Amino acid sequence: MGKIEAKNIEKYFEHDGKPLKTLGGINLTVNDGELVCIVGPSGCGKSTFLRILAGLEKPDEGEITLNGKKLHDTGPERIMVFQEGALFPWLTVKDNVEYGLKIAGIPEKERDEISKRYLDMMQLTQFENSYTYQLSTGMKQRVAIARALVMDPDVLLMDEPFAALDSQTRDLLLVEMQLIWQKTRKTIIFVTHNVPEATVLGSRVAVFSHRPAVVKKLVEIDYKRPRVSEDENLSVYEKEILQALRSQGTD
Amino acid sequence: MKANIFGKKIVFYIAIIVIWQAVDTADVWPDNIFPSPIEVGEDLIYGISDGSLFYGIATSMWRLIIGLAIAIGGGMILGIFMARVETVNQTIGSLVLGLQSIPSVAWVPLAILWFGLTDSGIIFVTAIGAIFAVTINTYTGVKNIDPSYIEAARNMGATGTKLITTVLIPAAFPYMITGFKQGWAFAWRGVIGAELLFSFLGLGFLLNVGRQLNDVSQVIAMMLVIMGIGILIDGFVFKRLEDKVMSRWGLR
Repeated sequence: MGKIEAKNIEKYFEHDGKPLKTLGGINLTVNDGELVCIVGPSGCGKSTFLRILAGLEKPDEGEITLNGKKLHDTGPERIMVFQEGALFPWLTVKDNVEYGLKIAGIPEKERDEISKRYLDMMQLTQFENSYTYQLSTGMKQRVAIARALVMDPDVLLMDEPFAALDSQTRDLLLVEMQLIWQKTRKTIIFVTHNVPEATVLGSRVAVFSHRPAVVKKLVEIDYKRPRVSEDENLSVYEKEILQALRSQGTD
Repeated sequence: MKANIFGKKIVFYIAIIVIWQAVDTADVWPDNIFPSPIEVGEDLIYGISDGSLFYGIATSMWRLIIGLAIAIGGGMILGIFMARVETVNQTIGSLVLGLQSIPSVAWVPLAILWFGLTDSGIIFVTAIGAIFAVTINTYTGVKNIDPSYIEAARNMGATGTKLITTVLIPAAFPYMITGFKQGWAFAWRGVIGAELLFSFLGLGFLLNVGRQLNDVSQVIAMMLVIMGIGILIDGFVFKRLEDKVMSRWGLR
């Protein structure tokens, strides 16, 4: 179960000694098993919002609830996939994937079974003993996703995980991501600045405005999966999102 | 390529010995000031045959290892605290920088007063000479950790000691190795210096005995041994450790 709710989230940053309002009261409810993408202009605070959902940053106003319960700190029920993966270079792929399980005190045999399953799902089995410096960027993100999935979180938070990938690798992972979502039915919140990416992935797309960011528009995308980015029928949705992004001026 | 470098080194050292011998044969200085390489070699062989050299090496190495272990353990703890707790850094951190500027032999008088002419005194000098290099490098290492490593670990449930042992220490390890390397160099200087002044067994003591007996070849022989051990430990222990860590961490 993973219904996560953000109520009136405000966040200020210091800028030239003055507080700068970055998040101007975000309200967003993501239901259990939903895949929601967040798009917005760069610097609008969408990553900050995700970090607040993860509990890695505190909001100045408002609250986050998970299944109705107020959240205070970070925790393994909301696992974050970082933009650069944040894999540990001193561990093998397998040990990276098992890290959270080890912290949770799960016995080795069980860890082994769980990690095998997800290494297999992410097609990493033959790389399980490699170190991260031996992997391509795409491979690293697969490991990062596997490391998040083994925790069986209520909510998966993804911060532009495919931003550094070449377009072929990204297209491949976008399809895989949909299959994983359909298989696991996880609640996923996926931040991106790439509109086609959001259209392919999201069941709903939340469009953030410029600073101070609010949810400008929610676009529902009811279209068969797995979607691919070259599907022309998706352009209607893309247009709708782009219009919402553009309609807010530049201030 | 490797053989070529090795060859150059061999030629270089043989040349030094040949020139050394030539200067000795030319009788520029008297033998009690400038011994020949053969005399130094004889002294080494004598030290090996009567066991005194090995006993000296073992004593110094034992003190070095204990002192360095204390320095590494203490320095890591101190460095991590300095990096993670701002108040510790602002207070103890400033003291550490000052203390690091004290040469290890300058601790000897205090060590003699506190510990007397004992092993503990020498180990104290060794440890205190090395600890701040480890501290400062650990501090730098922890400060330079990619914040997303720490966030990812916290997000997956790691806190307190678990966070320190599973992320902070391994992530800062490339810096820490530099600290260990510097620490070892300071510790080795510290041991020999302290042994010289304590005059209580070990290689530094043997070096001093050479001086007291006016035996130049023993003095030079001991200096060669001290240098040789330095080269061995640098090359075999730290160089290998460093290479391994650097490639594993993807830094090379």
